[in-house]
Amino acid sequence: MENIKADLISKIKSTFENVTEKDHDGNRLDFYVNKKIIPSILTHFKVNEGFIHLSHISCVDWLEEGEFEIIYILWSPKDKIKVFVRTRVERENPVMPNIDMIWRQANTYEREMREMFGIEFEGLVGEKEFVLEDWEGMPPMRRDFDTEAYADETFWHRPGREDAMDVREAIIERSREEIPDFAKKYSR
Amino acid sequence: MINDKNSQKIADFIKNWARKHSIWVLAYGTGCGAIEIPPTMTSRYDAERLGVRGAATPRQADVLLITGYLTTKTLKRVIRVYEQMQDPKYVIGFGSCTINGGMYYDSYNTIKVLDKYLPVDVYINGCMPRPEAVLAGFAKLQQLIQEGKATGAQKYKENHEYYRGNLRKIIGNKYEMPLYNW
Repeated sequence: MENIKADLISKIKSTFENVTEKDHDGNRLDFYVNKKIIPSILTHFKVNEGFIHLSHISCVDWLEEGEFEIIYILWSPKDKIKVFVRTRVERENPVMPNIDMIWRQANTYEREMREMFGIEFEGLVGEKEFVLEDWEGMPPMRRDFDTEAYADETFWHRPGREDAMDVREAIIERSREEIPDFAKKYSR
Repeated sequence: MINDKNSQKIADFIKNWARKHSIWVLAYGTGCGAIEIPPTMTSRYDAERLGVRGAATPRQADVLLITGYLTTKTLKRVIRVYEQMQDPKYVIGFGSCTINGGMYYDSYNTIKVLDKYLPVDVYINGCMPRPEAVLAGFAKLQQLIQEGKATGAQKYKENHEYYRGNLRKIIGNKYEMPLYNW
């Protein structure tokens, strides 16, 4: 397993520039790349390295850094290794290269990301509307979308929730249980 | 003879007695609560001994179960299904999500209070209610039917504007809902 990983790292680094890798325990390997080489590096993984299966495309909203991180998870049935290809894109007007000519199923993930995070993909085919219906305004999975405020102004609430008290301190007092420091900051 | 008070009373009693022993539930599940229906229906709890059984289409069903959280997208279909059902018809709200939103109280796409949109006859609380609780809910509904108090459908007819107005506030003006006449 370690031999295969080291071999893969040296092959990728000799082919592509500005690639950093991070080794994880087990059969996982991460590559941090620029978004411009995404189609070429994924094609390389699929055609030359045997990573024929695209497991997932995931998106993380790094609000403080002003960026989205997009993660392509690939699986090699031959070597039993999964590779995470990670790339960053700016949060203002994010545009990503489209990879649904490499794996057709990527289209579904990309449409979902377009709807839930507002990321545009170049030349993406398909209806604008994917899961949500008649949605206007900010895409709901962005971290600066205040879902509680939206729910308060859109829906009715049944009265009675506002006196929901934090009972943890009373429970601790009664049971004389010690609470770890990191848990205290989650107290309401 | 039929306008005679006592005859009417006897007729109502027989009618309600017949209705309470043939509660047909529409086989339609929303949210996670639908998983509690198979154990309720099958041999362990055997709801059919109370006359509760599944119905294939809205026009054959008497009870609409809202089993758990209801998204705005599903709400449109649920209202449409409810309006297609024939009188007498009843609604059971199932789980805490239909009562006050439950764990989805701050979600952007689930409704919190079901009785703004549908006239609910019985609420079953719990997250999730076990089959015993479901059977208790059905028993309560039977009792209400026998006493002639399960008048949700009547309420919906009389306050149609109110329910439709609430629905319109949630789904906006883009989505066209057909109007079924009664």
